[in-house]
Amino acid sequence: MSKRKIIISVLILVVAAAAVYSYKEFTRTNKDLRYVKPQVTIEADSLIREFTVNDSVADHKYRNKIIAVHGMVKGIDSADGQYTIAMGDTNILSSLRFSMDTSSAIKAAAVQRGMSITVKGAITGFKKDETGLLGDDIEFNRCVIQQE
Amino acid sequence: MKNWKSVLTGILVFALLPAVAQDKYFTRTGKISFVSKGVIETISAKHNSVTCVLDTKSGQIQFAVLMRGFEFRKALMQEHFNENYVESDKYPKATFKGDITNNNAIDYSKEGTYNANVKGKLTLHGETRDVESAGTIVVKNGRLTASADFNILLSDYRIRIPAVVKDNISNTVNITVDCPMEPLKN
Repeated sequence: MSKRKIIISVLILVVAAAAVYSYKEFTRTNKDLRYVKPQVTIEADSLIREFTVNDSVADHKYRNKIIAVHGMVKGIDSADGQYTIAMGDTNILSSLRFSMDTSSAIKAAAVQRGMSITVKGAITGFKKDETGLLGDDIEFNRCVIQQE
Repeated sequence: MKNWKSVLTGILVFALLPAVAQDKYFTRTGKISFVSKGVIETISAKHNSVTCVLDTKSGQIQFAVLMRGFEFRKALMQEHFNENYVESDKYPKATFKGDITNNNAIDYSKEGTYNANVKGKLTLHGETRDVESAGTIVVKNGRLTASADFNILLSDYRIRIPAVVKDNISNTVNITVDCPMEPLKN
């Protein structure tokens, strides 16, 4: 094979690889958290305490992390098949709020107040309550219930 | 006699409490979505954790959302949205504080669908702008649902579109809000 043909073949391979990579990257969806190992495992009360003491330090520490949180369910909201589980101390307004992934809808539907569970999710941040009526929340997306 | 007065006052206070509490309605699971229709592609995202508090007595209404809570169909879009456009690390929250300007025209004690004109300030990406929108309040089964649909311009909020994708991304974003609320019990 001539040198020219080798160069052309390599170039075609490089362009093809770049095209495949670009297409995969462009169409990539968020990972299903059922199959993702959590970067942090923590108790609900400890996480709430960290954010209550200093939310900017805690936000920096946990930003963009996949976190597994163990704690007691203080409430569950459902609407149109979308479940949100609230976790934390029932004596304080602040909660951890887990917006459940649709893949966990059946398991979420079985969750009841007072149950002790572990939920894994992508933290989206700390929502300080500016109304003084609802309490501060730490929110999570794409959440799944982790097997005990 | 004195005891009777105390008992009567107590009964009155307890009788009035639910009425006072029912002035305010709230949700933490409201929905917001946005759509930006570009020439090549439509960009859309949804959010299921909108906090909204409505004071039916004064007509004051507040919304708050964490920017990282917006979910996109494509992960790359979500990453670009947070990192390059709205800079979620720097400006993690968007808020709206305003009033229902025709609050007197809404009978919150009677089931029905009411037009609601909302006027207030939207803070996004560290910029605050006046926003006015026509929406609806639905009163049903002791609950309220506040809905609105309005447009904003990205340029008003200093959200820059890189030149390379300028033709693909519209400067106008359509926002839809839907917040079913329940009475706030203190």
